[in-house]
Amino acid sequence: MRVVIAEDLALLRDGMTRLLRDNGIEVVAAVSDGDALVREVMTRQPDLAVVDIRLPPGFHDEGLRAALEARQRVPGTAVLVISQYIEPTYAQELLADRGGGVGYLLKDRVMHVADFLEAVRRVADGGTALDPDVVAQLFSRRRQDGPLERLTPREREVLSLMAEGRSNAGIAESLVLTVGAVEKHVQSILSKLDLPQSATDHRRVLAVLAYLQRDE
Amino acid sequence: MAVVKRTLADQATYRRLVYLLSGIPLGLLWFVALVTVWSLCVALVITPLSIVLVIGLAFLTRGFAAIEAELARSLLGADAHAPSPPPPAGKFWARLRAMFGAGFWRAQGYLMIRSFVGFPVGIAIFSVLATALGLIFAPVWVPLVHGGAQLGFWSPHTFIQSLVLVPAGLVLLPATLLIVGPIAGAFRPIASGLLRSDDTTAAIAGMADEGVTPARARRALVTHAAVDGVVLFGLVLIWAVTSRGYFWPVWIMLPFAVALGIHGWFVLLGERPSLVDRFRGNRVLAATAGVGAVATAYFVAVWAITGHGYFWPIWPALGIAILIGALTVAALLSSPRHAEMAERIETLETSRAGAVDLQDSELRRIERDLHDGAQARLVALGMSLGMAEQKLADDPERVGELIAEARAGAEHALRELRDLARGIHPPVLADRGLEAALASLASSTPMSVTLSVDTANRPAPAVETAAYFVVAEALANATKHAHAEHVQIRIAHTGDKLELQVEDDGTGGANPDGTGLRGMRRRVEALDGKLSVISPPGGPTTIRAELPCGW
Repeated sequence: MRVVIAEDLALLRDGMTRLLRDNGIEVVAAVSDGDALVREVMTRQPDLAVVDIRLPPGFHDEGLRAALEARQRVPGTAVLVISQYIEPTYAQELLADRGGGVGYLLKDRVMHVADFLEAVRRVADGGTALDPDVVAQLFSRRRQDGPLERLTPREREVLSLMAEGRSNAGIAESLVLTVGAVEKHVQSILSKLDLPQSATDHRRVLAVLAYLQRDE
Repeated sequence: MAVVKRTLADQATYRRLVYLLSGIPLGLLWFVALVTVWSLCVALVITPLSIVLVIGLAFLTRGFAAIEAELARSLLGADAHAPSPPPPAGKFWARLRAMFGAGFWRAQGYLMIRSFVGFPVGIAIFSVLATALGLIFAPVWVPLVHGGAQLGFWSPHTFIQSLVLVPAGLVLLPATLLIVGPIAGAFRPIASGLLRSDDTTAAIAGMADEGVTPARARRALVTHAAVDGVVLFGLVLIWAVTSRGYFWPVWIMLPFAVALGIHGWFVLLGERPSLVDRFRGNRVLAATAGVGAVATAYFVAVWAITGHGYFWPIWPALGIAILIGALTVAALLSSPRHAEMAERIETLETSRAGAVDLQDSELRRIERDLHDGAQARLVALGMSLGMAEQKLADDPERVGELIAEARAGAEHALRELRDLARGIHPPVLADRGLEAALASLASSTPMSVTLSVDTANRPAPAVETAAYFVVAEALANATKHAHAEHVQIRIAHTGDKLELQVEDDGTGGANPDGTGLRGMRRRVEALDGKLSVISPPGGPTTIRAELPCGW
């Protein structure tokens, strides 16, 4: 897997590079601003761009804009956006642009190295990785007496992990369940929420997120 | 004829008539009550009792003004309110000073107008109406009265003769009702302007809010003058055809002139609001006018009680008039910005002190949060790592635990720093503007929130930040204290100001002196804006803020 990193703080840029390299991921370029990111993505055509939202010169959302631009120039590039804070608006903007794998994670998640690497691989493969905080915010927007209440606590846990973009195997590992048990929960959730049965994880994530974002 | 038909069919005509007639008992009552209390105040000025009287006077005026405001609101449709009550807390002298603010003097002025203008106008309307009814029913009573009707030039005394009078009454009655509208209409802007709780600018704005354009105001003034002229002409005619003795119409002319003068003054102020600035904050003029009017009333009362002799009160009244005139001229000639500047400086001093306080307390909070939160966690994290380093060689299992602990500590520290940063300035506000930031805020509350933001271009960052935190605080209050379920947020960026309104369906009863609302007020005032909180017990709560954007 070939990765480009865009992060303005040298400490974090070098740390991230080391972390990925130590785990057998090839970092082809590590840059510190949005223009450089677009340039590197165009010349090196990586599988994945890991981008900090806040980049110079304005330190607003240049990283996000640059990532979306890079993906437009080189369609199919997976984008994993990392940030010090979580904003559902950005998650929606990222998800609206489905030209390949997307991820939106807090920088904190890097500390759970195994989970983080799993998310990196998932996004690079065209999947989704949404931060648990984003999912929690989407959940909190739902009415207390809505259809979500019909789910058992375990099913809600499974739904959260589905929304984060995890596969059945990933959910099983995270909740210490068998894959078969997870599949049963998933079936039950999809039928309770009236969602279509999808073969791929990717479509399933979209359906779940669309459901959570929908206005009641 | 259509006008006559419309006027007679319009309920408003009769409400206005009731208002004008209410001037007879109320004008008399205000006159007697206020003159009595003022006289006692003057007589007992050197005794401590006068303080009690003065406070009583303030409350009396407020009560009377509340009655008048209610009448003006319901009968005339004026935007009138009782003067605001004195602040519930504060130093005694400050509260006393607040009691005798501009609102008090304006209320006094209105009560005086009701006494000196409303009373005679009421009497005049009543007399004309009674005359009209008398003429209409002349065939009923004339034959019964010995000597018939005394008209001066002719005395009809039979049923047939008195039939001639009926048409005159049938013309006079609708004619009277026709003039009721314009006369009462002249009271309306005066009531809106004088019965006000807030400052002079708002009073002028209150009159403008009624949708009275300068052209309409001018036409109303001309109508008012014309009606006055017609009525006076009629009265002079009556005087001429009847006794031609004592020229009593002068007593109607005087109040008419006063009313016309006041009306004209308000029209002028409405057209040239800059004039208001010259009088704003001029306490000397306000006090002189107030005390002068009361003193004149007092002298007139004394003159009336002591037997209507030579009208000596004309001399002190003249003196007071000259004094007020001189002060008015001085105010007009003085540097027009002077009084306004003084008031502005006072406001800015207060709001700056508030801003400094706010900044200071914010910095303290941030320092405390850093000290107790992230800093402490980083120390603990360092300790865990240090212990892990020590045990590296001999206890690998313990090392794993310590490192996991250190990682958890780092996560906690990050979370706390993130919350802290969001409290200082939410990143999405800078990135995407007010609407996105408020939408994000709305999505994180358990209430259902309707958000409508109408901003063509982004206001200055300071304004956005203040608006954001006002809404954030309002939402926090609505959830925590008012237990609201639905909140409506409206924001409009019109011209050079940002208007913001947060309305919930909660239990209300917000404490305006609580930390939350005080902080909110300071934030708004620091930008020279205005904040109003309407939160009656039982709800709902409406918070409005107006932030100037000329930064």
